[in-house]
Amino acid sequence: MKRILNIITSVLVLGFILTLSVFAWVKPMDDISVSERRELAKFPDLSFNTLVSGSFMKNFENYTLDQFPLREFFRTIKAQSELGIFNKLSNNSIIEKDGYITKIEYPLNEQSIENAGMKFSFVYDKYLKDTNTNVYFSIIPDKNYYLISEDENYLSLDYEKLVSSITEKTSYMKYIDIFSELTIDSYYKTDSHWRQEQILPVAKKIAGEMGVTLNSSYKEDYFEKEVYGVYYGQYAIKNLSGDMLRVLYNDHTMNAKVIDYQNQREIFVYDISKAKGRDFYEAYLGGPLSLVTIENENATTEKELIMFRDSYGSSLAPLFIEGYKKITLIDIRYMHPNMIENFVEFNNQDVLFIYSTSVLNNSETLK
Amino acid sequence: MLFSSIPFLYYFLPSVLILYFLAPQKLKNTVLLISSLVFYGWGEPKYVIMMVASIIIGFVSGLLIEATNEKSKKKLIITINIIINLGFLVFFKYSNFFIENFNSVTGLSLNLLNVALPIGISFYTFQILSYAVDVYRGTVKAQKNLINLATYITMFPQLIAGPIVRYSDIVDSLTERKIGFEKISTGLRRFIIGLSKKVLLANALGELCVTFKASDDKSLLFYWLYAVAFCLQVYFDFSGYSDMAIGLGKILGFEFMENFNFPFISKSISEFWRRWHISLGSWFRDYVYIPLGGNRVKKTRWIFNILVVWFLTGFWHGAAWNFIIWGLYFVIFLIFEKTPVGKFVTKTHVLNRVYTLFFIIMSFVIFDAVNMSEAFNYIKAMLGASGVPLVSTEFIYYLKEYLIILVLSLVGATPLVKKIATRLTEIKGVKTLVGILEPIVLIALLVLVTAYLVDGSFNPFLYFRF
Repeated sequence: MKRILNIITSVLVLGFILTLSVFAWVKPMDDISVSERRELAKFPDLSFNTLVSGSFMKNFENYTLDQFPLREFFRTIKAQSELGIFNKLSNNSIIEKDGYITKIEYPLNEQSIENAGMKFSFVYDKYLKDTNTNVYFSIIPDKNYYLISEDENYLSLDYEKLVSSITEKTSYMKYIDIFSELTIDSYYKTDSHWRQEQILPVAKKIAGEMGVTLNSSYKEDYFEKEVYGVYYGQYAIKNLSGDMLRVLYNDHTMNAKVIDYQNQREIFVYDISKAKGRDFYEAYLGGPLSLVTIENENATTEKELIMFRDSYGSSLAPLFIEGYKKITLIDIRYMHPNMIENFVEFNNQDVLFIYSTSVLNNSETLK
Repeated sequence: MLFSSIPFLYYFLPSVLILYFLAPQKLKNTVLLISSLVFYGWGEPKYVIMMVASIIIGFVSGLLIEATNEKSKKKLIITINIIINLGFLVFFKYSNFFIENFNSVTGLSLNLLNVALPIGISFYTFQILSYAVDVYRGTVKAQKNLINLATYITMFPQLIAGPIVRYSDIVDSLTERKIGFEKISTGLRRFIIGLSKKVLLANALGELCVTFKASDDKSLLFYWLYAVAFCLQVYFDFSGYSDMAIGLGKILGFEFMENFNFPFISKSISEFWRRWHISLGSWFRDYVYIPLGGNRVKKTRWIFNILVVWFLTGFWHGAAWNFIIWGLYFVIFLIFEKTPVGKFVTKTHVLNRVYTLFFIIMSFVIFDAVNMSEAFNYIKAMLGASGVPLVSTEFIYYLKEYLIILVLSLVGATPLVKKIATRLTEIKGVKTLVGILEPIVLIALLVLVTAYLVDGSFNPFLYFRF
């Protein structure tokens, strides 16, 4: 009996290893990981030089990890084990609470806040200091503020300190507090971003502080399928419900002329078909672009707005179209501030710096 | 290449096993040698030549020692062998340490050599030395076949992190070994258990330690949580590696010595060291301590002997003062345990375990510290003398986050599970059931480990730096 059991154990375990091994060798390579929104490593160059330098071995390891058979299945197993067997609160620092998934952003990175303050000051000193522009600053809280900051089971940022620290460093700008205009419902369940259909109060408050009244009504359009955000893939648990992508449109948004300077092309305010892609948020103003202008001949004022923004600004800016003849969106994560003078002249505009707490706390992305 | 990596598990290992099992008996060592050189070269292509040179020196000196009858010549050959092999080790591992200390004493600023440490050099150098010394002592015959000796030194299961296998223990297996399903299944079980210890426990504990070190919200209990987690991490990391090595050895037909025996249940520091990294402890005992006279000498000489052994043990672990102090730290307790008070402490229930665990935990804080200043700061904080609060938010969060891992690790560090399993298999019927369930459990563990490897990037091996 013992001999038979030894044979069974050896054959099954070795068989398992061999089967996966053969599968790993013969499986065609995948190009991208949809859930992680990234390109996957390919089989590395094999040459005498890459062997001697060790780069082949390093890249081969990345290749085997990225191209491993049933990779998504294994990632899900790992996530379920972390949460189910080891009873962890998070998987890959991502937690699920009340149907929302979110990444734990902790701790407050004071060096990063300092850096963000310096970057904004650089822009202000170089372009805005002695001009007749009106400069405003607003902070977009990430959804953890509403989801977990009051829950002692989780670690979360010290938002009060973050706000006081960055506003102290940017005291030359008028601060517009929008924290009370949002709730957890303002955010997608599986993504980090806010939902456009929920942020009209934010747009009205900011515009109001800048002296512009927004009165338009909007209709809603939506993508026919559920969409899944950035955290969904990282969390790797597959039985969660997704989100509905909605956009708010009216004549102002339909007739606005949008120029993407990065790619030298005209684009639409919304392109819902992009919800099919890796990042559904690209449906708003073409996604992550360094410089975009929106012109509206029928705006209710003759004013111009310049927005220094991150991705959250893509869904907010369309709500300002009604009140501004021209809006210029600048993302200094993709464009060095020294380049701005080639495209923008600062003169008698409203200038809004609006950044999420996530970017402020990880401001190494700002150029 | 790490055992706990996808390239090893699903590319290297299956390929080697197929070639090894298909190869005729007389070619098995050649297959194993080539595989081991590929395994080593995978991480350190340029150092393969140096390792091969060390092996050839060991091989030739073994033959020369055996060929001569003159004691003085034998002594000369073994001395040259030791100088060359230790020379490699000192150059690669300790040169920067010596230059740094020379600079700080003399005020000079000699340039550091900054040579990379070849993986496993501390382990294979000790194997080559022990082989040559054994031949010199006449306890083993010199190996006449270079491939056999090279197979012994380079054998990939134990090449880069031990156990330090003695030539005398496997000399017979080098020429004649039986491979069968019993050994394969036992080896697979041992390998997968070791792999699980490493990937599921040690890596998670390592993440906790990294998190602690980066924290700005430290507290007295957080320091202790870190210290306990680090002890367990090192244990599961290294004993997991040893299990994998022993398991792979069995699959290939070899028997390696045990390297760990539940060290945290020790009732004294001396017992701890009989249970922790056994192959290193016995190496120093047989090749340093006993030649120096062991304990059958005057008390002052005995103290000198253990100072030398523990200085070398610490220094073997790393070229830094905290490793040396870590080694010498144990001398205090080994001497203390010989005194009447020490004997009382080690023989008193509960007290002996508290005493042992407390000082072992402290020792690993020194071991993990970047320098002695950090070690003192950590110990000060653990003793409540640095003014940090008792509890912090992060401590509570991470305690909750890692509670199950910690409980599993604490239980897994005792013989409890082994005892229960042994008892169960003594019950008629249960043994068969366990036998039937075993492959399912092993495959489930393998799936789980694979899932963690595919998804994770945190997978260091602590003992690789030695």
